[in-house]
Amino acid sequence: MLRVLLVTDTDKPIGQLRNALLAAGHEVLDEVAATGALLRAVETQQPDVVIVDVDSPSRDSLEQLAMLHQHAPRPVVMFSADGDHQLIRAAVGAGVTAYVVDGLAPERLASIIQVALARFEQQLHIRRRLDDVQQQLLDRKLIDRAKGLLMEKRGMSESEAYAALRQQAMRQGAKLVDVARRIIAMADLIG
Amino acid sequence: MTIDDDVPTLTLGYMPLIDCAPLIAAVRLGLDRRHGLRLVLRRQASWAAIRDKLLSGELDAAHALAGLVYGIDAGIAGPQADLAILLTLNQNGQAITLSPRLAQGLAAGRPLRELLAELPRRPVFAQTFPTGTHAMWLYYWLAAQGVDPLRDIRSLTLPPPQMPAALADGELDGYCAGEPWATQAEALGVGRLAIRSGQLWPGHPEKVLACRREFAALQPELALALTATLLDACRWLDDAEHRRQAVSWLVQPEVIGLPAASIEACLLPGGAIDASDSGLRFHDDGRVNFPWLSDGRWFLQQFRRWGWLAPAQPDEDATRLGNIHRLDTYREAAQRLQVAVPAADSRRSLLFDGTVWE
Repeated sequence: MLRVLLVTDTDKPIGQLRNALLAAGHEVLDEVAATGALLRAVETQQPDVVIVDVDSPSRDSLEQLAMLHQHAPRPVVMFSADGDHQLIRAAVGAGVTAYVVDGLAPERLASIIQVALARFEQQLHIRRRLDDVQQQLLDRKLIDRAKGLLMEKRGMSESEAYAALRQQAMRQGAKLVDVARRIIAMADLIG
Repeated sequence: MTIDDDVPTLTLGYMPLIDCAPLIAAVRLGLDRRHGLRLVLRRQASWAAIRDKLLSGELDAAHALAGLVYGIDAGIAGPQADLAILLTLNQNGQAITLSPRLAQGLAAGRPLRELLAELPRRPVFAQTFPTGTHAMWLYYWLAAQGVDPLRDIRSLTLPPPQMPAALADGELDGYCAGEPWATQAEALGVGRLAIRSGQLWPGHPEKVLACRREFAALQPELALALTATLLDACRWLDDAEHRRQAVSWLVQPEVIGLPAASIEACLLPGGAIDASDSGLRFHDDGRVNFPWLSDGRWFLQQFRRWGWLAPAQPDEDATRLGNIHRLDTYREAAQRLQVAVPAADSRRSLLFDGTVWE
């Protein structure tokens, strides 16, 4: 079991790591969101690991602790000569960085980072799916508008309008939504 | 690096500070294209992030504190990596700020040591990165007044935008950072400027363009094009009208996002370029940009002074600096742009305490 401090001073949902870390049997300290609070928490609660967003503005303060405090608590950036570089690269890529107490076995840290990575990848996945769904909704709206225009200006029925759109898309080798966009732009222009 | 439309694309990191101006100007003016490159700029939130992303390959090169590069190369308190400096981006432009009480005492001629001893707790000073330039200017200045920066004070690293508030709250007694953070403290009435970095060491190196050494060595054509691009941008910035234009780019929220007046006060104090030896400069006919070996030796010597680096083996420093400072690449880029190239690899500097460094 490790004492983990989460720093939540960016948009990244670092705080959401809490449950996953608790489930993995770690102790999670009260999260901190400001540099001053972070420094006090490190001093008074002596976490074994501090997890922050790669883009946290507080990171340089942790570097200073690694430099000057020769004795515990001594957070040390996880990069080391024998560190797992692949894992580190993945962690930086996913936006998470850990500072660990000197002497902590890399394998023990690896499990924490893996929990964080899994969590962040999941997040990214959900995010992408949400983006996809939103995009589909947006496309649908545009297609409906183009259909409406065809119905209004050309007196087509809904199914005729849709068939005309599809035919145009196939002929031009374009996406349905792009054809819809062109029709809307054209209608705006001609009025 | 990626290649789009046959143009090699490099991703560069920068911190939102006044002296990131050469990177912004390079892209805004299309100097990258002129030298056969495309630069993509990515703003970062900490020097640690710049280091990590440089090391992991997410960034090809970065705007970096000169001291940080030597610190990483020497593996001080963090990951070791072989780095390279392509050119110096600017000289001067930083400052040490004190609480009004300390500043008043100092102005009245009282020794700093004595003033610090009167504080109810151990004095607290802030800088921007443990091995960075601001820490080095601060420690040098304190030590010159008989204050041991490792024992007599507590040294914190803080993001500069948080420094004036921490000084106002009494959490800090002073700090060293880039402008506009000294001006800001004075404007708010929470601090007083004690000394400009350009007074401490007129013409000191400040930010450099750093990359992995592997990149500099294995992609010499790209390193040359990148050096030429930034050298071109630095030269462009040593002109008042151009700096005025740069202000309008730096105020953009995605770049620095401070009011134009604060940024203009740093780039054009009193409406003109500060042409003195202590003013912020980006080129000075290339004297700013040449990566002087003597500058690198100064940082290594300071690291040893503070006990972070073991005594040098014969030739150790010369080898390290010869590897970090890409003098051949710089000279070739300078020739391409018809910028004067010094004959010597080192220069003579005079620091505020009378120390001569060569």
